[in-house]
Amino acid sequence: MSAPTANASTRPARPNSRLGTWFDHHVYSLVASVGRMLRKPWATALTIGVMAVAITLPLGLWAALGNVERFTGTVEQSRQISLFLKPQVTVDRARALAEQLRGRGDIATLDLRTPEQGMEELRRSSGLGEAISAVDGNPLPSVLVVTPKGDETTLAESLRTLPDVDVVQHDAAWRQRLDQWLRFGVRLAWVLAALLGVGALLVVGNTVRLDIQSRRDEIAVLQQLGATDGFIRRPFLYLGLSYGLAAGLIALGLLTAADRALREPLAALAQSYGSQFALHGFDLLDAVAIVIGSGVLGWIGAGLVAGHYLRQTRPTT
Amino acid sequence: MSVLRFDNVSKRYDGGHDALSEVSFDVAQGEMLFVTGHSGAGKSTLLKLIHLSERPSRGAVVFGDRNLLKVRGRRIALHRREVGVVFQDHRLLGDRSVADNVALPLILRGMRRADIGKRVRAVLDKVSLGARANALPSQLSAGEQQRVGIARAIVGEPRLLVADEPTGNLDPTLSAEIMALFESLPELGTSVLVASHDLALVKRMKKRVLVLNQGRLVDDISPQDLAQ
Repeated sequence: MSAPTANASTRPARPNSRLGTWFDHHVYSLVASVGRMLRKPWATALTIGVMAVAITLPLGLWAALGNVERFTGTVEQSRQISLFLKPQVTVDRARALAEQLRGRGDIATLDLRTPEQGMEELRRSSGLGEAISAVDGNPLPSVLVVTPKGDETTLAESLRTLPDVDVVQHDAAWRQRLDQWLRFGVRLAWVLAALLGVGALLVVGNTVRLDIQSRRDEIAVLQQLGATDGFIRRPFLYLGLSYGLAAGLIALGLLTAADRALREPLAALAQSYGSQFALHGFDLLDAVAIVIGSGVLGWIGAGLVAGHYLRQTRPTT
Repeated sequence: MSVLRFDNVSKRYDGGHDALSEVSFDVAQGEMLFVTGHSGAGKSTLLKLIHLSERPSRGAVVFGDRNLLKVRGRRIALHRREVGVVFQDHRLLGDRSVADNVALPLILRGMRRADIGKRVRAVLDKVSLGARANALPSQLSAGEQQRVGIARAIVGEPRLLVADEPTGNLDPTLSAEIMALFESLPELGTSVLVASHDLALVKRMKKRVLVLNQGRLVDDISPQDLAQ
């Protein structure tokens, strides 16, 4: 071994610019974290797989609810209010009332069904044509079928006060129940998203924790050489981010595959009921948000665990 | 000029064990000295206080003009960059080459890559490992690994080098080579503090010796006294 001398090569080297240092440190951390993932392919695949499933479940539920909401939206639009007029109201009086109501701003369309039309429809749909023909006279009232334009509950209440109206029938209770189910579904999706999001955080956190445990000695050496917390934390943040981004992409792939698999049979089913309903998947903006959100989740999980570990290694008094 | 000053420093661990009791001494710039004592005498704790792995319970550790008690947060890392450390068990990163291990302190300082390469080559030549720059630590002998550890400790030209039993695993010939290397460092202005329980080695080096016993500094022997 030769004794050290202060030659040209050992003169203090020029420090990098702050930006250069920042860039070099990030490249160093990124390479280190990607290398770590590639060195443990099975552990990496398992972590990403569990995280992807944890993300897929609430997103799938979310997408399903979105489609149900769209479907029920079309149902709501076609829902009508039926006004059964009093038996003594004549067809002419019913026609006049219909004309009068068509002028209201809160009514989109209005159809009159005379007692004769009602009897004909009953005869056709019930299969009791002969029995009905045997009935003396026509006991059915005139019916006004109203399609509301705005708030149907208010409209129904208003129509109920008309002197010629005997019974008002509309599906407010059915709609309320459906709305409540939808609200419950949305809330359930939120709760599931929160729980599974925390699950994904814990999965990444636990993986990073194990990684930190296996690298305790290396971290200790880096700390003793003067590595800042940021320098030590950074490769783990990249690791969490990489897990999250990969899991987000896989979750998106799974959801897209499910969308493709269900789209055709569902469209055929809807068509058999005379509906044009079609399944809607995620658009590009949704897809980008899912992948970024998943990446952020991984980043946060890794940051929490690495930060906790670093706090524990601070010098004590 | 003093690089390091211990001023009535005591350290009591959580369990109530007094690792150091009212220890006071100075280390001058460019001075080389030894800290010796039996196992559990407080040598490692003393090094941890210098290195800010621990903080004193009482008293002050002053590095240059900096009271280490007041060094917090990011400044702990910056302080550690001014203190080179050599461990008995080398503590090299096994998945990185010799050159990459030695480069670490310079990467942390944010030096240019070209400068890092030059500096690493120069320091590896000094410890006679220029030809092993691309080897992994596992491919080196114990003595070579220790020399890599020393290269890593001095590559950043620290003001103080602390070594914890640096020759503990080495044979006498290798120990002498490591000590010769340490002896040459003060010429560049780096102070060297070596903790060792190898009394024969300590006596042979004829440097100042601090003797610890049960956490107390019981003797501070000058080179002249040691020679007598």
